[in-house]
Order: sequence, then C-alpha cells, then structure tokens
Amino acid sequence: MLDMILSQAVNGLVLGFLYVLIAIGLSIIFGMLGIVNFAHGAFFAVGAYLAYVLGKEFGWWAALAAPLLTGAIGVVVEMVLIRHLYGKEPLLGLILTFALALLAEAVLRLIFGGAPVPFAAPKFLAGFVEYGPILITKYRLFVLVTTALVLVLFWAFLAYTPYGRIIRAGSRDPEMVGLLGINLPVVFSGVFGMGCLLAGLGGLLAAPLWTISPSMAAGAIMPAFVIVTIGGLGSFLGAIVAGLLVGITTAMTIQFQPEWSGAAMYILMAAILLIRPRGLFGERWERFE
Amino acid sequence: MTEQMKTLATTGLRIGRRSLLLGASSLAASRLGMPYIGNAAAAESIKIGMIWAKTGNIVDQAEYLAQGGMLALEQRGNMLLGRPAEIVWLDEPNPQGAQQSAERLVGEQKVVGMVGGALSSFALAISSVAKKAKIPYVAANAATGDLTGKSCNKYTFRLQPPVDVHARILAPYCASIGKKWYLLTASYAFGQDIKRAFTDYITSNGGTVVGADEVPVGTPDYSSFILKIRAAKPDVVIGGISASDLTTFLKQWNELGMKGKIPFAEISVGNTDLWGVGPEAADGLYTITWWYKNPNNPPEEQAMAAAYEKKYNRPAADKVWMGWLGMKSLLEAIEMAKSTEPAAIVHALEDWKYRRGDLDVGYRSFDHQMINRVLVAGIHPKITDKWDYFDIKAELPKTADDIAKAFGSQADSACKMDTL
Repeated sequence: MLDMILSQAVNGLVLGFLYVLIAIGLSIIFGMLGIVNFAHGAFFAVGAYLAYVLGKEFGWWAALAAPLLTGAIGVVVEMVLIRHLYGKEPLLGLILTFALALLAEAVLRLIFGGAPVPFAAPKFLAGFVEYGPILITKYRLFVLVTTALVLVLFWAFLAYTPYGRIIRAGSRDPEMVGLLGINLPVVFSGVFGMGCLLAGLGGLLAAPLWTISPSMAAGAIMPAFVIVTIGGLGSFLGAIVAGLLVGITTAMTIQFQPEWSGAAMYILMAAILLIRPRGLFGERWERFE
Repeated sequence: MTEQMKTLATTGLRIGRRSLLLGASSLAASRLGMPYIGNAAAAESIKIGMIWAKTGNIVDQAEYLAQGGMLALEQRGNMLLGRPAEIVWLDEPNPQGAQQSAERLVGEQKVVGMVGGALSSFALAISSVAKKAKIPYVAANAATGDLTGKSCNKYTFRLQPPVDVHARILAPYCASIGKKWYLLTASYAFGQDIKRAFTDYITSNGGTVVGADEVPVGTPDYSSFILKIRAAKPDVVIGGISASDLTTFLKQWNELGMKGKIPFAEISVGNTDLWGVGPEAADGLYTITWWYKNPNNPPEEQAMAAAYEKKYNRPAADKVWMGWLGMKSLLEAIEMAKSTEPAAIVHALEDWKYRRGDLDVGYRSFDHQMINRVLVAGIHPKITDKWDYFDIKAELPKTADDIAKAFGSQADSACKMDTL
C-alpha cells in the first residue's frame, strides 16, 4: 500500500504541474489586469487545435508555434475587446469573456466539427521511466520540466527585467505608471497575450493526453479557477502551490475514494477558503477592494 | 334620432384626411397580411421535438445524433401527413436541463413527439416528462436498463439495446481472455449498469473482480486510475465510460504503456470515440450498434450513409444512424397513425417494423425495447483510413431464438407497462 501511496503522490505532483501551467495564465491576467478571464479555457482549446492543425500539416515541431499564435490571438482580443473593460464594473468582464468562451467553442465546432480529433506525442517522448513503484511517462516528465522552466523564466522576467517591473507597477498603480510616460495599453496587451500564450502552451502540452474537442475548454477552466482561488487571486506562487496541492489531492482521492475524485478539489477549495478567505497567498489589493 | 345621426343627416359622411390614410393603410396591410394568415392556418407545420446536447460532456456525440435526425426528416421532404414538418432542437446540458427542455417542447412548442436523451440520465429525465405529458418519446442513444425496465412507460420507446444485452454478448469474449476483471465505470446509470452486469457475469462464471472504480463524468486525467489497474494485474479491464471520457482514457492508457499489455473491453462505443483517440492509441474489444461499412446494412441505410457523406463530407458514424432511425421510426409512426394524436402514434410505434436483413426490427409492445443485433469489434492492427478503426468480428446474436434470449422475455422484464 505504501508503494501505491508513493506512486500516486508522484503522479499527483506531475498532474499538478499540468494544472499549474493551465492556471498560471489565468492568475497572471487577473493579477495584472484585474480581468477574470472566463475565456481562458477557450484559449487553452485554441492552443490544442492550433497544435493539431500545425502538427498535421507540417509535423510535430511546427506545433510548437501554437502557443505563440494563441498569444497573438490574445493580443488582438485584448486590443479589440478587453481593453474597454479596464476600470469598469468587474461583472462586465465576466460577461464579455464568458460570451467569448461560448463564441470560441462555436467557431471551433464550425471549423472542425463536433467529433474529437487525434493528436499524439512525438515518438521520442513515448515510453516511461520506472523507479521501484513510481512510474512516470517520458511525456509527463517533459511536461513537468517545460512547466518548471516556463515558471522560472516568467518569474525572472517579472523580477529582474525593466519590463517586468513596469508590469508589476502597472498592476498596482496604473495611473502613476501612465504619468511616468509609459505606454500602459501596450504593456497590458502584452500581459494579456502572455496569459493567452501560457493557456495555448497548456493546450499544446495537454493535447496528447486529453481529448481535443470543441468542448475541451470546460475540462481546463474549472481546475484553473479552483487553483487560482486556492492559491489566492493573482498570486504567482499561490497558483503553483495550489496546482500541486490539487494534483496530489486528486490522485490520493482516486486511490482511496475514486467516486469522490471529481469533487475532491472543490472540497479542498472550500476547506482552504474557510480558513483563509483570500486563498493561501492572497493579498489585500486596494485596486480590487 | 341621436345627435350623431342628426349630424350625418345634415352634413353627410365626413372622413378626415388622417382617418382616411389610417383606414387605407390598415386595409392595405390586411390585404397584404391576410393571404399569409390564411396560408398559415391551412399548412400549420407539425413540430417534432429533438433533445440532443448542444453543451456539456456528450455534445461531441450529440452533433451526429442530431444530424441523423434532421436527415430523416429531410429525406421525407420535410413533410408529414401532407403538411410541412419541422424539428425543434433544444439542449440537454444535464438531467435537469433535459427535463426542462422536454417540458418546453411540450408546453411551448406543442410538439407531437420527441427524440433524444444522449446520456441515460438525460433519457430517464425526458421519459418522465413524456409519461406525465403523454407525448411519444424515442430514446435513441441511452442504454440504461431502467428505461425499458423498471422505469418503462407507455410513451417511451428505446432504440439502443440495453446494457444487459450488450454485456451478454461481450462478456463471453472477455471471459475467454481471462477470469480476473477490473471494472472502470462512470458514476451514473450507464456505468453502474455495466458494473452490475459484468460483475454478475464473471462471479457466476467462476471469475473474480480484482478491482472496481467509479469515475466521475468529465474526468480529465486517468493516470491515477491506470496506476491502480496496473497494480491489480487483471486479465481484462472492463470499461463503462462514454464519449470524450473514453477517448481521454484510451490516450492515457497508451501513454502509460498499457496498450496491448492488458486487454480493454467496453460495450456500446461509437466511431466518434475512437476517431479522437488516433491510430497510435486506439485499442480494445467492443460492441457497437452500427457500422457504416457493414455489408449487411439494408439498401435504405446504405443510401442514408451515402447521403450523409455527401452532405457532411465524412462517413456516417453509428450515432448518425441512431439519430436517423430513432427519428425515422417516429415519423413513420405518425404517417401510419394518420394523426398527431399521442395515443395513435404510440399504437403505431408498437406496430412499426423495419426490415434489416432477415430481421424485422421494431419496438416490443411489452417494454418498448427495440430488438436488433449488435456488432462485436476489435481495432484494426494497422489503421490506414482515419475513419475506419473497427475490425468487425461478429454480428450477434445470430438466430431469432438467440436474439430473444439475449433481450430476455416478458417474464424476465422489470417493466410493468402502464396504460395510455
């Protein structure tokens, strides 16, 4: 039994990294722009479909461009729609992004039909590694390493580059940053695009594991919201810790009470919010109070 | 003489300019509008309700079911009883949503019959509305035994063979592979029926169930379940998960290196479930209800498949056939009844027959279950056509006696049929 617990714990951690990747873009967009992006799952699905199309037409390596294209679509969406919501009633953002999510699903259905489309991991990532009771597939290891790398790079970008400092300052006091002569609309477009790029990357990496269908956004958006809520809205570190917690909790529930596995993350969220209503690493932000 | 009449008598009938314009406009409008009002009364369309998911977990299959239903009406020139006919399609996001859609179709749209219920839980919800509102309903996809078992009613007809029938056909194949089974089933009526049917079979045939997990619908990651299966070392894994959940499971089953190591079997899967898996990961032993390449398909079904492929540029999936045949049976029953009266349609549906090879397919009067054969299929060792995954092993049951045995007799049925 101990072997199984260890095996499930490691598997849960790996699953958690995939969840982190999906959730982190949502967290960034809320933390920096104050927009609760209901369409995040739709960008995840768009990333997966772009990977499918590029992979089918030009080979697996071309699929790596899918996140960049998703990010570019995100920038356009921000410039056309999202930027009109800054400083407005938060409900407007919810309604608009929810409508956007429905629209994206309908467009995907129109283009690709309702049936799922196939997408496999590249051959060099097939197979698995075994250490005693622990089994990890090479592909999941690849997802883990990629996620960790993306998180470190993004943290370094925010912490050590002048652009990162502008983004962080803009998220706290946009008026002051604007008064300093910085073109904030461009910065915000970049932030939204970056969030969408991460969603697209999540879609690309999940595509060989999950079912690629127009309704796949639903499977991503709920864990993403739960993770962001548990971690604390807008908290980078919070999303990472919460993602791993959700992964491990889900895996352990499957081991001992499988029929509860779908509800486990919601119970975890409820328990944490009872103790810390702002989430694990949530802060009081004047802007959103 | 009143004052008004006195005025008329002395001044004559005087109509103001505004009154004249208003009157002329009204007259013109009525002249324009009346023909349409007249036509509408003469050819009021007959409405058929269709409830297939437009959102939610089963939406990917529901699209095909809906297209099949619409094709059935198109093939009749959108006419019924010499009148225009139309399909009103509403969503079924969950069982409550399915029930509300059925109530709206009956109450607001005044439909004369309904087809739908992509999941067993949805079909049971629609069936309860059909019973209450006394409107004929054809459940074309749901497989739970209850629908034509203990929850049967006079207005509900079911096309898909129930879980028990599929299980009686597939279970012997699984038992021939090995007697240690692991059950991975969805946590709703369909999965629970599979769990019960296969557990009953293997335990009464000298085998054991080495593990059984109920899986929530919409589970995105099966790796933890697969690790449990791997540790239990069963001879066969019996699945009871549907649509995109099955697709996801098979992809991850392959990813974790289980494909080809432990055989996987499941009843009543669809083409669309496998199309999304991809050739690398596709695996398993299945029962399927229909296959577009089956040479035994009657000419009418071959024509339907050709018409579908021409229109949608892809082969007709089994779900297209189910949606088509469910709708076709209802439409033909309305024609047979020569009426839109629910009681007459119910009687006609009970009498409705459709020739498939040597078999007269129809709904049994004592439980309204359609009697038909199913196909046992594996997966082609090498998939060269992106639409063609199934390697058909048999079409069962073979004889009329075997069919009757597989579907069970009236004495075996849990259905206590009510009256109209």
